[in-house]
Amino acid sequence: MTYALPALVFVMVALATVQALRRAAWWRLGAAAPVAWGAGLLALPKRYLVDVHHVVARDPYASRMHAVVASGLLAATLLTTLAVLPPLGGSRAYWAAVALAFGVTAAGSVLVGARRYPKRPKRLSGGGFQILPFLLLAYAFGGLAAALLLALGVESAVALGLAVALAAAGGLGLAYEVRSGPMRHAVAGALHLVAHPRPKRFEGGRPDAALAPLDLDAPRLGVETPADLAWNRLLSFDACIQCGRCESACPAFAAGQPLNPKRLIQDLVAAATADERAYAGSPYPNARPVAAPAEPFFRIIGPDARIHPDTLWSCTTCRACVEECPMMIEHVDAIVSLRRHQTLELGAVGAKAAATLDNFRGAEEPGGRPLTARADFAAGLALPMIGEREVDVLLWLGEGAYDLRYGRTLRALVKLLHEAKVDVAILGAEERDTGDLARRLGDEATYQQLARANVATLAKHRFRRIVTSDPHALHALRNEYRAFGGDFEVVHHTAFLLELVEQGRLTPGALGGAGVTYHDPCYLGRYNGETEAPRKLLDRLGLDRVEMARHGRRSMCCGGGGGAPVSDIPGDARIPDIRMAQAAETGAGIVAVACPTCTAMLEGVTGRTAEVKDVAELLLAAVEAGR
Amino acid sequence: MKVAVLLSAGRHPVSGRGALPRLEAQAIRLAAALGSARGLHAGPDADVVAEALGRGLSQIDHVALAAGADPVPALAAVLRAAAPDVVLAGRRGQGGDDTGLVPYALARALGATVIPDVVAARPGSEPGVIEVEQALPKGAARRVVARLPVVLTVHPAAPEPSAFAFGQARRGRIERLDVAAPAEPAAAAIAVAEKSYRPRPKMMRGAPAGGSAADRLKAATGGGEAAQANVMVSPEPREAARAILAYLRQIGVLAPPPGAG
Ligand code: SF4
Ligand code: SF4
Repeated sequence: MTYALPALVFVMVALATVQALRRAAWWRLGAAAPVAWGAGLLALPKRYLVDVHHVVARDPYASRMHAVVASGLLAATLLTTLAVLPPLGGSRAYWAAVALAFGVTAAGSVLVGARRYPKRPKRLSGGGFQILPFLLLAYAFGGLAAALLLALGVESAVALGLAVALAAAGGLGLAYEVRSGPMRHAVAGALHLVAHPRPKRFEGGRPDAALAPLDLDAPRLGVETPADLAWNRLLSFDACIQCGRCESACPAFAAGQPLNPKRLIQDLVAAATADERAYAGSPYPNARPVAAPAEPFFRIIGPDARIHPDTLWSCTTCRACVEECPMMIEHVDAIVSLRRHQTLELGAVGAKAAATLDNFRGAEEPGGRPLTARADFAAGLALPMIGEREVDVLLWLGEGAYDLRYGRTLRALVKLLHEAKVDVAILGAEERDTGDLARRLGDEATYQQLARANVATLAKHRFRRIVTSDPHALHALRNEYRAFGGDFEVVHHTAFLLELVEQGRLTPGALGGAGVTYHDPCYLGRYNGETEAPRKLLDRLGLDRVEMARHGRRSMCCGGGGGAPVSDIPGDARIPDIRMAQAAETGAGIVAVACPTCTAMLEGVTGRTAEVKDVAELLLAAVEAGR
Repeated sequence: MKVAVLLSAGRHPVSGRGALPRLEAQAIRLAAALGSARGLHAGPDADVVAEALGRGLSQIDHVALAAGADPVPALAAVLRAAAPDVVLAGRRGQGGDDTGLVPYALARALGATVIPDVVAARPGSEPGVIEVEQALPKGAARRVVARLPVVLTVHPAAPEPSAFAFGQARRGRIERLDVAAPAEPAAAAIAVAEKSYRPRPKMMRGAPAGGSAADRLKAATGGGEAAQANVMVSPEPREAARAILAYLRQIGVLAPPPGAG
C-alpha cells in the first residue's frame, strides 16, 4: 500500500502529459515562428520568478495564494514520486515531509476556495474555475491524509485506501484539466514563457512595444483565421488563467464598449479549438450578436464569425491589458494583426477611419491638411527650417500642430526652447505624418510608405537629436522606424525640458502651490517606460502634485489612441469622461498632460472642473513668473 | 449588366499628388450594384488609376495615349467594341483640363443617353432598362428610368467610396489595350496660363443691388414665395401650360401676348 500514492502521482503525470500533448497538436496548426529554445529555457526561471512575479504581486492576495498552492502542489507531487526509491518509501520521516508539502497545498487550496466562495469577484471566470478549488482540496487533503498515515505508521488499508481515493479524485481531475481546463495555464504558461514571441520584454530596459513590420508581399496579409497566427501566439492564449486583470484595466471595457480583452483571448482560444468549454466570464459589454460558427479555424472577425468587428475597433491600443497580464500575453499584437487583415484585405474599416486613411495616402497627413500649414501655429515666432547646417535639435511637430488648442502648447514649447537658447529647427513641409494612426488602424502598407519616406527625409538632414511633444510620433521615430533603417535619438519634450532645467538653462519660478495631477500618456509611459521626467519637472514648479489611483505604467488611457476616436464605437460612457472623473477625485485643479491626443480628449470633456495644461505650458508660466 | 467605369489620372486637391478622383471611386461603388464592372483609362500610364483596384474593381483596361492627347476617340473606340450597357464617369476630372465634357462627347459617339449627377442606380424592372436617381439642385432628387446604353456621371452625394484595400489592389490586373483610334485632327492646343487659386466672392445673378442681406439671400437661394409658386402638383394641363407661358414671358423668352401692354 505504500506505493498507492506514488502510483497515483505517476498516473496523474502521465495523464497530464497525454492531455498536454493533445493540446499541443492544436498549437502546431498555427504558423511557423522562430523560437530561441535554448535561451528561452535558460531564461525561464528568471522570467517566472522576476517578471511574472512582478505583475502577480500587484494583487497581494492572489500572489500569496498562488505562491502557496503552486509551490505546495509541485513539491508534494515531486516528493511523492521519490517514494519509488526503496529507502525512502519505508521512511516515516520522508512521509512526514510529504505530508508537510501536502499540508502547504491544502492551505493554498483553502485560499483558492476562499477567493471564489461565497461570492466570486466579477473579474474572475466561473465555470470550470469554480470547480478548481474542490479538485485542489481533494488532492491536497487526500494526499495529506495518506502521507500522515504512512508517517505515523498507522497500518489501516481501509483508511489509506480512502485517502488515496480522495487524492485520486482531485489529482486525476487536475491532470485531466490540463487540456482544456484551468490547469492548462500551468503547462501552457511555462511553455509560453520559454517560447515568448517578444523575448526582449524580459531583458529589462525600455518596454518592447514596437509592432513587428508586416511582409507586404505575403500571400495573405494579416490574420484571418487562427492558422494565420504563429503557433507560439496560439500557445500564449492558452496560458490565460482568466484572472480578469486585463478586463479591469481596459478603458474600453470600463466605458461599456464591446471589448473585453479577457474574453477576446478566450475567443481566440475557442476559434482554434473544436471543443472548447463555454466561456464563463464577463461578456463584451453591449455586444451585438454574432453567429459564431462551430468549426475551428474559421474566419475570426465578422458578424457571422466569433468576434464582431466592433470589438476589434474598440481598442485604443493602450497596452493596459498587456501591462497587467500575469501570463505575459500580448493582446495588442493580436488585435493589430487582426485589424491588418480587415483593412488591407477586406477594406472593412468604418467610414471615418476610411476617410482618415485616404488622407494619409493622398496628403500624407490624417486630416488631409496641407503639410505647408503645419507650422502655421508658430506665426510670429522665429522657428527656422532645417537647412544645410547641423542643428542640435530637430523639433518634430506632429499632428497636434494643426490643432488650435494644441498650437498653444507648441508655442509654449518653442518659447521655452528660445528662452534656453536651444539651437532648434523644424522640417517644415518636409515633415510628413509618422503614420502611427494608419498603422494602428491596420493599414500597414500606407504606414510603411510613410515610414520609408520620413526615414529618407531625416537621413538628408543633420541634427543631433529629435525632440517631440507627441508620444505617438516619439514611439514611431524612436522604436518603430528602426525596422525601416531609422536610428535616431528621440527625446520627449518633458525629458528635454527637464534636462534644460537641470542644466540651469531654464529657471522656473514658483506657481504658488496649485494642485496638479499628471496624466501619463500610454505611448510615453507604457510604450516607452517614461514616467519620471514630467513628474520631476512638475515638482520643480512649486505645484502641489497628487497622483490619481491609476498612474505611471498602470495609468488609464484618455481614449484617444489606436484610432478609437475615428472608429468611434459607441459605449455607455466616454473614456475621457471616466479619466477626468478620476482626475477630479484627486481634487487637483490642473490636469497636466504631455501629449496632443490626451490634450484634445481630456479638454473635450464637458462639464470638467479641472484645467487641462501641458507640462510645457505650466513650465512656461513658471519661467515667466520667475523673471 | 456590363459596366465600364471611366478612370482618370487625377491629383489630390491638397497635396497635388496623383490620386484617383473621389467621384470615380464613388462610381465604382455604384457600378458594383449593377453588375460586373471593368475600369477604363486612357492616358500615358495607368499607375495613378491603379488605386481603383483597391476600391472594388478587379480589372482595368489601359489605352496608352501620349500626354495631352484627346482621350475621347480612343475611349469611344474601346467602348464601341466592348459595348457596355452602362458607362460610369465622374462629373469632371480633377487636376487636369477638367472640362467635364468627356462623358458627353462619349455619349454622342456611342449614341447613348447621358444622365448626369447620379446618386444611385439599379437595374430596371424589365431587361434593357436602368433606373437611376439623379441629384438636382438644392438637395432635390428625381428618379429616372432610361433605356440602355447609358452614360452616367456621378454626383458627390452618391454613397461614400468603399475603403481602399491594399491586398485587393495588389491582386487586381491592368490590361493594356492597343487601340487604333481613328486619327482625328488634333485640336489646336489652347493657350492657358496657370495661376494659383484665389477664392473670390460668388456673383449672384439677378441679386437686387442694395436691399437688405435677407433680400439678397432670398434672391440667391430662390427662397420665399417665388419658389413656392414654381411648384404645381398634378395641375390641369391648361393651367400648367398657362403657367409655363407666363414664366417664359416673365423671363423674356416669349414675347408678351399680342393684346397686352
Ligand atoms: S489575458 Fe492575462 S490578464 Fe487577461 S484574464 Fe488572461 S491571464 Fe488574466
Ligand atoms: S490595449 Fe487597452 S483598449 Fe485595447 S484591449 Fe488592451 S486594455 Fe483594452
